[in-house]
Amino acid sequence: MSQGTQMMRLLGIVSLLCGLLIVGTQRGTLARIRHNQETIMRESVARLLPGIEKQIIYGIQPSDELTILPNVEASGPRFFAGYDASGRFLGVVVEASERGYADVISAMYSYSPETQTITGFQVIDMKETPGLGNKISSDPGFLENFKQLDATHPITTVTHGAKKNPWEIDAISGATISSRAVGRMLQKSVAAVAPVVQRNLGRIERGQ
Amino acid sequence: MNHEPTVPSCHPGGAAVSNPSPTETMVAFTTGLWKQNPVFVMVLGMCPTLAITNSVRNAIAMGLATTFVMASANAFISMVRKMVPKQVRIATYILMIATSVTIVDYLVKAISIPVYKALGPFIPLIVSNCLTLERAESYAGKNPIGKSILDGLGMGFGFTFALTCLGTVREVLGAGTFLGFPLFGKNFEPWVLFLLPPGGFISLAMWLLTFTFWREWSEKRKAARTAAEAAEEIPVEVIL
Repeated sequence: MSQGTQMMRLLGIVSLLCGLLIVGTQRGTLARIRHNQETIMRESVARLLPGIEKQIIYGIQPSDELTILPNVEASGPRFFAGYDASGRFLGVVVEASERGYADVISAMYSYSPETQTITGFQVIDMKETPGLGNKISSDPGFLENFKQLDATHPITTVTHGAKKNPWEIDAISGATISSRAVGRMLQKSVAAVAPVVQRNLGRIERGQ
Repeated sequence: MNHEPTVPSCHPGGAAVSNPSPTETMVAFTTGLWKQNPVFVMVLGMCPTLAITNSVRNAIAMGLATTFVMASANAFISMVRKMVPKQVRIATYILMIATSVTIVDYLVKAISIPVYKALGPFIPLIVSNCLTLERAESYAGKNPIGKSILDGLGMGFGFTFALTCLGTVREVLGAGTFLGFPLFGKNFEPWVLFLLPPGGFISLAMWLLTFTFWREWSEKRKAARTAAEAAEEIPVEVIL
């Protein structure tokens, strides 16, 4: 056997073994990874909709039709509908993302179709500047904006202390770019999701 | 300052040790912890060292991930070292390191998604950490499996120790917390600079200075003690 063939055979065997190891690990950890993702998502939804006992994930089709998704792994536009122990509809939680100062900010917010307001906001993932932009996830004054944020009007971010209307977000001083990114994120997401939720409200309330 | 390794077979081209004594085996483990610490002595793997150490939790997670990669990659490489032709050894080593990194990637994701998100692209980048290839080429490719695993563990724990040192300084000064627990009162104003990239360089410089001063001081003390012992042993007749 020539030296070239010998080297190719060795590399082939090593590659095959490495491939088997990777596939084995992937298969072995798949269930656990899915479970972790589902737990994180459900915990986030529960934090935004207190009292939630049951949730249904609705996928939004290109034709604005709703389909019930089997698990959190399903991709595409979607939202979570929350229900209490008696089956009463509490509201929906929507995922949204927008380019921030350092990278994309991913967040979830709760929306009440009854009052047409945003009732809660939580950052899921971000890489904003520590001590400045990353305050969007913890600053009590900033998070106060999302207790009853009017979603019937395009949401806008105003400079710190200049908030006058219920659809305005009072920015964090020193973190204007990140605050504005949150405003843009909510404005775009509400414009896309709220009409679909309102159109299908009866179905969502019945959990169908 | 003596930076030479204490294990002769660590040198590229060094002879393989077929039957290592227990002392040699221990040296294979402890060398990476202190005498050849990957960060404080060899100054390798600077990318994760500077990028990940803005919290102690991330530093420990990154260190342990690297430790697993180094121990498993060293084991695989040592197992096949006699079969791999010289011409394709680097390709084979990279393949095995990449496999170990991919396994770690899945394991971290299965253990904790928040940690996985915090470490971001730096887990896949372990494959390009020069420390892993350096140990594969200079140690695992020339030594038996047991010693190679110990070398990987020693280097990995040394790396974890260094990352934790940096992470401690940066988290305590930059956020006023340790492992997420607040250390100071509400009046503490965090020194945010330490969480930003310049803080990484400043912390690393402080630790390198401290480590170098300590090494020089201990070596001078050792030299002085040896000289004193040698002076005591000189026969009186010679002095006369």
